[in-house]
Amino acid sequence: MGWLTTALILLPLGGALLVWIFPWDAFTAGSIALLVALGEVGVWIEALVRFHFDRGGLQLTQRTNWFSDLHVSYHVGMYGFSLWLVGLTVVVQAAAIAYAFWAGRTGARAYFGLMLLLTAAIVGVFTAQDLLLFYVFWEAMLLPLYILIGVWGGAGRLGATIKFVIYTMAGSLLMLAAVIVLGLSQGTFDLTATWQSSSDWLFLGFVAAFAVKAPLFPLHAWLPDAYRESPPEVSAVLSGVVSKAAIYGFIRIAITKFPEPTKDFRTVILVLAAVGLVYGSLLAFRAPDVRGVIAYSSLAQLGLITFGVFSVNDLGLNGAVLQMINHGLITASLFLLAGGIERRAATGEFARLGGFARGRPILATVLMTTGIIGLAVPGSSAFAGEFEILAGVFTRGWGYSVVGAVAIVLAAMYMLRLISAVLHREPGPAVTPAALDLRPAELGAIVPLLACLLALSVWPAAITERSFAHDHARTDVNTQFEAAK
Amino acid sequence: MIIAAWICLVAPLAAALLITLLGTGISRRAAAYVATTSVLGAFAAALVVFAKLWGESPSTRSHPSTAWEWLTAGSFHVGLRILVDPLSVFMMLVVSGVGFLIVAYSIGYMDGDDEERRYFAYMALFVFSMLLLVQAGNLVILLAGWGLVGLSSYLLIGFWHDRPSAIAAAKKAFVMNAIGDATMALAFFLLIQHRQTLNFPDAFAVGPGHGWLVNLVALGLLGGAVAKSAQLPLQTWLPDAMEGPTPVSALIHAATMVTAGVYLIVRTHAVFEQAPRVQELAAGLGAGTLLMAGLIALVQTDIKRVIAYSTMSQIGYMFLGAGMGAYANAEFHLMTHAFFKALLFMAAGLVIHALAGEQDIRKMGGVGRLMPVTRLAFLIGSLALVGVPPFSGFFSKDSIIAAAMSRGWYGYILFAAALVGTFLTGLYAFRLFLIVFPGEPSPFVREHLMRGSHAAGMEGAHGADASAPHDHEVHAHAGEGPFSMTAPVLVLAVLAVIGGWIQFAPLWHPVSDWLEPVARPLAEPTSTQEALASLFAFLLSLAGIGVAWLIYGAGRWRVPKYAFAQRVLEHKFYFDEAYDLAFYRPAVALAKAFGRWIEGPIIGGSIKELAAAVREAGLGTGRLQTGLVRTYALAIAASVAVITIVFVAVR
Repeated sequence: MGWLTTALILLPLGGALLVWIFPWDAFTAGSIALLVALGEVGVWIEALVRFHFDRGGLQLTQRTNWFSDLHVSYHVGMYGFSLWLVGLTVVVQAAAIAYAFWAGRTGARAYFGLMLLLTAAIVGVFTAQDLLLFYVFWEAMLLPLYILIGVWGGAGRLGATIKFVIYTMAGSLLMLAAVIVLGLSQGTFDLTATWQSSSDWLFLGFVAAFAVKAPLFPLHAWLPDAYRESPPEVSAVLSGVVSKAAIYGFIRIAITKFPEPTKDFRTVILVLAAVGLVYGSLLAFRAPDVRGVIAYSSLAQLGLITFGVFSVNDLGLNGAVLQMINHGLITASLFLLAGGIERRAATGEFARLGGFARGRPILATVLMTTGIIGLAVPGSSAFAGEFEILAGVFTRGWGYSVVGAVAIVLAAMYMLRLISAVLHREPGPAVTPAALDLRPAELGAIVPLLACLLALSVWPAAITERSFAHDHARTDVNTQFEAAK
Repeated sequence: MIIAAWICLVAPLAAALLITLLGTGISRRAAAYVATTSVLGAFAAALVVFAKLWGESPSTRSHPSTAWEWLTAGSFHVGLRILVDPLSVFMMLVVSGVGFLIVAYSIGYMDGDDEERRYFAYMALFVFSMLLLVQAGNLVILLAGWGLVGLSSYLLIGFWHDRPSAIAAAKKAFVMNAIGDATMALAFFLLIQHRQTLNFPDAFAVGPGHGWLVNLVALGLLGGAVAKSAQLPLQTWLPDAMEGPTPVSALIHAATMVTAGVYLIVRTHAVFEQAPRVQELAAGLGAGTLLMAGLIALVQTDIKRVIAYSTMSQIGYMFLGAGMGAYANAEFHLMTHAFFKALLFMAAGLVIHALAGEQDIRKMGGVGRLMPVTRLAFLIGSLALVGVPPFSGFFSKDSIIAAAMSRGWYGYILFAAALVGTFLTGLYAFRLFLIVFPGEPSPFVREHLMRGSHAAGMEGAHGADASAPHDHEVHAHAGEGPFSMTAPVLVLAVLAVIGGWIQFAPLWHPVSDWLEPVARPLAEPTSTQEALASLFAFLLSLAGIGVAWLIYGAGRWRVPKYAFAQRVLEHKFYFDEAYDLAFYRPAVALAKAFGRWIEGPIIGGSIKELAAAVREAGLGTGRLQTGLVRTYALAIAASVAVITIVFVAVR
């Protein structure tokens, strides 16, 4: 059944080629892209049904030798947590493509082709079980992003793209070096093999690439510009999904393959995450515009998720996976909503916004619900995730949990500020009575994300029970976690 | 029975979802009736549960029920679990019963507000959250209810979202409650590490030898309790919360939500009893709050704020009782307080409603002549609040004061504070009553009430749409308000009189007996102590009423003016200013400093030069950003080529 995983990669890739090769008009190109994205969701649901969660371990695998003398292979498959991340990817990509289709993008064929290529690459990152393949998908993920920001971004897109390129290129080069040295020294590039490394330098090479992409404090210089200047749906993908690829890298490569270095550098990483958490929350509280708040809150949330990952225990890891899904859905919805607000008011600056709630009940309800879940109100799935993460990191030091608790209060402050600045008080100068409530097409893009969040709030264990196999001894990845605990 | 408990929980949630999803597909009236019916259904279900539980022997009255596993991680499991026992049923009855009366009252009160549907969805959401809180069978679900209650409070305080003051108050309430949530969560993390479970009551059996641990856990829980119940030092949000519609103040900020802290202490009393110093701290905070709030209430000029401070003060009594180990007495006072405080708020709401949203008591006077029923209701509420026999407050408050007497020297200090509190209660309660109701109607009152018509829902009309037409809302009747508003007030008035009769401490005590299996009291005052406490409290409250009459009724005494004291009280002991200075401003300053000194120059500057150089090179060499798809296709092809070359090279 490995063809399902391959299909998840090939379907959007084929869609991209289809859109690129033939001279479709903009509407047809968008329709094809949306259909492919929806089909991708369908394939994922099929994979979800076929997945044996009770068995755990790597499933839906497919393996073909590529460079056999180097032991490089096309090897894909999914663990429980990878399956959820792939699900997040296909759902958010579908929403993003639907939003772009509705909003209309110039150069539609190029644009939608790139979005589909991006989908294939991210799915590839989450499913690759070979280091070199992982790196190929990683680069394939970054290239379309450079172009999407650089061409379809806002006024400051050039600077934003250059920063993004410099940072991620630097990280990628370090990772490439680490991949090559590691693969050659281990004699195989296969991730499912039982090898583990104790090399600090190789560990740091991977961590650098992941920390830039997440980003972790202080490597986030590219973040505010990229999130502000991208088209809203690209920001949604960038912060909702692509940042999760970095965390996935932490889990799948850094921790499982480098147990000793993980222990050595755990404190440093946790402290950086703590600083980023508070720092991001405070800057989010002072940010002057909608996207600024979402951007810096993403920095904070990634710090929190890193807490969970580098707790390296059941609570932390399960909480981190749950929170990755939560944050992906929340931040994607928020960026799409930000796009909707900017379309209506032609600005995202709080000083010129306000009063959106009156006469626009659907926008108000959707933004309020998303924001409230985003600030992790107890009872929401985001609360469930943060609760587990902070309970997990508590065993590494109560101080981290205290920092996390402070950040929860700060999150309430910045998220309520965002909600009120957009929705409440008298209408701002940029808000005219002509600004409509959310249109059905926008709802079609955003409501599925919100519905997933609400469903997860009712039953967050849907993910935490199905991310890592219950019986630790039986699966390779869980065994490798043991070494890092 | 378990089924009934689940129905009780889910009915209001279903109503909230239904109203939200139907949107404008449901009429305003229908939304109101859906919400009211669902809360009535919850009350009926709670009655069924109560009747079934009553039929069982006391030792078996505890029934957990898990719907599904809510959150897991390896061996850690948290179920969506409710617990039906005497304490939760007691709270279910109070919440859904009083809640029903207040939601029904809202039908008339909110009539004509153009966002009625949103209001009733929020109210139903609140009742669900509160029921989740009191029915929760483990600490995580309790915290979920706890947080959702805070959320609905935020939504309702900020209901009139055009008003900056309402939005500010709502945010303040939410953030202060979030502080409490955070300390509770930290306490739970400690428990998880040591007990691996958060289920009642297993989680509380921390065991000896963990002195610091239970103390920290108890402190964390206390943090949540004082935040939710507006006790020292997290009390400053409650008066501001009066920005919400008056029924909201009655339901959330008087009758149910703010008493959640008392419920929490009683529910987790096993932890507090292992940390006796923290439990005494809870009692001390309660005593401090009841005095402070009683003093501030003396100088307030807003009718709702006086009642709000009175709420803080009365919850102080409950904290005092729970902190002294008189759990049943605290819960009993919680119940009678729900009756008479909801009554006071709703009677005040009738006045505000009749006066087109005016809340300043200096403009009122002589309202009673034109609103006799409201005057009677308010008088009953005030007498019950002050604790004059045979009104309900007498029975419940005095048993708390007596309990303090039985707990040694610390108890006697608290006893003294509680007695001073009764004097203050008599004074501020009757100051309010005497200013607003008796005598000749003031010109302002005359203008509004003599016309025989008023606009409904005008409380909210201070906002943007004050000029919007309210023609359809003008009622033909004079004064008191529609039947749907006066009827619940009258029911509560009856309860405020007779609600206390179900327990008269030394003689009969069904409430204490009912709750005993859940929370065995630490304090058992003797009959002499009960009698003495009642006597002192009665005399002092009469003294308070007497002084109020001399100043505000007969006008024989002039209020002595101490400018300094006046200023301190009007600034509410400067808590807001102090917190602003100690927390908010430093946080803002830190954020600004981060932005100015780190984010810009260090983080951003690190690649600014490099980026500029690349940009120059880019512009100089080939104008990469052409926007032409061909260029980018070429770029992709080139990149793929590079990667292929790398592979080949490696190979």
